[in-house]
Amino acid sequence: MTDPMNDKPFQINFGDDADVVLPDDPQFDAWIAKAAPSLNAPSVAPRLEMWDAIQAAQKTAAAANAGEIPGVRPLRRSRFLLPVAIAAALLLGIAIDRISFRPSGDVEAPREIAKTAPTQDQTQPVIPNTERRVGSIAPSTRNAAPNTTNQRRDVRTPDVNSSDPSRLYRLAAVQTLTQAEALLTAYRTSGVAERDPATAKQLGQWGREVLSSTRLLLDSPAGDDATLRPLLNDLELVLVQIIHLSGAPLDANDRALIDEALRTRDLLPRIRTAVPAGTVGTASDD
Amino acid sequence: METESTLSPERAHQLADQRALVERARRGDASAQRELYESHVERIYRLTFRLSGMEHLARELTQDTFVRAFASLDGFRGDSAFGTWLHTIAVSVSLNELKRRKRESARAAPLDEALTMSRTAPLSDPVLRERLMAAVNELPEGCRTVFMMHDAEGYTHEEIATALGVTTGTSKAQLSRGRAKLRIALADLAEEWRP
Repeated sequence: MTDPMNDKPFQINFGDDADVVLPDDPQFDAWIAKAAPSLNAPSVAPRLEMWDAIQAAQKTAAAANAGEIPGVRPLRRSRFLLPVAIAAALLLGIAIDRISFRPSGDVEAPREIAKTAPTQDQTQPVIPNTERRVGSIAPSTRNAAPNTTNQRRDVRTPDVNSSDPSRLYRLAAVQTLTQAEALLTAYRTSGVAERDPATAKQLGQWGREVLSSTRLLLDSPAGDDATLRPLLNDLELVLVQIIHLSGAPLDANDRALIDEALRTRDLLPRIRTAVPAGTVGTASDD
Repeated sequence: METESTLSPERAHQLADQRALVERARRGDASAQRELYESHVERIYRLTFRLSGMEHLARELTQDTFVRAFASLDGFRGDSAFGTWLHTIAVSVSLNELKRRKRESARAAPLDEALTMSRTAPLSDPVLRERLMAAVNELPEGCRTVFMMHDAEGYTHEEIATALGVTTGTSKAQLSRGRAKLRIALADLAEEWRP
């Protein structure tokens, strides 16, 4: 069966001369009126079968709307879907813009920034043990950006070739991490505003896509990067948790598990540090 | 279209009964929904069959029409007959789906199926029927829909106008244009209708 709930009222375009009546031919008109009933002549309507199908469709729609069927998208649209999609598209666009139109070698900058400006992300209430993350990208913040602008310029390395394969892998990593940041931000937002199972499912689907990219990166030379690999590993774990728990409505314990993983791994701050677009105030500097 | 002031007492009573039935269905009464279904399914199925030409598709479109109607009963204001409202949904669902399918696949396959699915054949010559069906399928969407509803299924221009959201003048003009196009397309068979 098609999805009747998605059908918009059909509008036929009759054209500008829709009301213009053409000359009739009574003989033809009589003949065609007699012949027409034989065209696509209907068979007997299978009433019972159709009624059963209608009832089944109603039950399925009701269950899906109530979030009782794992993996089935509810007919009503989540109010978070559009803002999340727009946010993701914007973030990806900014990332691509900054990466594509920036002098080569710039992608290396955030790591250097992180080393020189390990300040606290004010969007996170508590970020424990950030200094102990050996080998990982240390947390930084968007607020630290004004202090880092000059440092960014200092650490640019013009000797990095734009066709360098390692740079290409890093570009791919940045795209994936941008998506991951948008996803995790959406996850946190959904947790604050609404505990909607439909949103959890959508996040789960989105998470699967990001997880695929993350695993591809882990298997690529980007996964050999000593600074990137721990971050990708931690991201993979959290994504798996989100996906695993998205098949059913999240209760408080489920969410607490994911929140704890996000907090203890400092995931969002580390991603923001790794993604160049996450550093505010650099666009005008380029 | 019927209005309250032009109705006979008997018809007004029928409409009042129907409103009560719709109200019960709106509240989720399955027996009321079944009653509405039984009252209208035959005509809706015939219409979707005429428009689609395929039994399995007509079945899906009929089901979709009722599923959508029952889910949208809150939007039924009751200022027209339930059947009229249902036909509007059926036409919308059918044309949307046919347009979607047309985009996805070539027209030839459904046409072949449509021809083989015709159960009755007042046109004794299969070649003639095939030519006619092919010509009908070549008509612009508006002409074809109005032609099938009026000439094949016997809807009045008022009913067609309501279902398509146009004036009766447009419905009449589209029928006239459709017939004229068919006349041109079948010009070499003129001996069939000339005395």
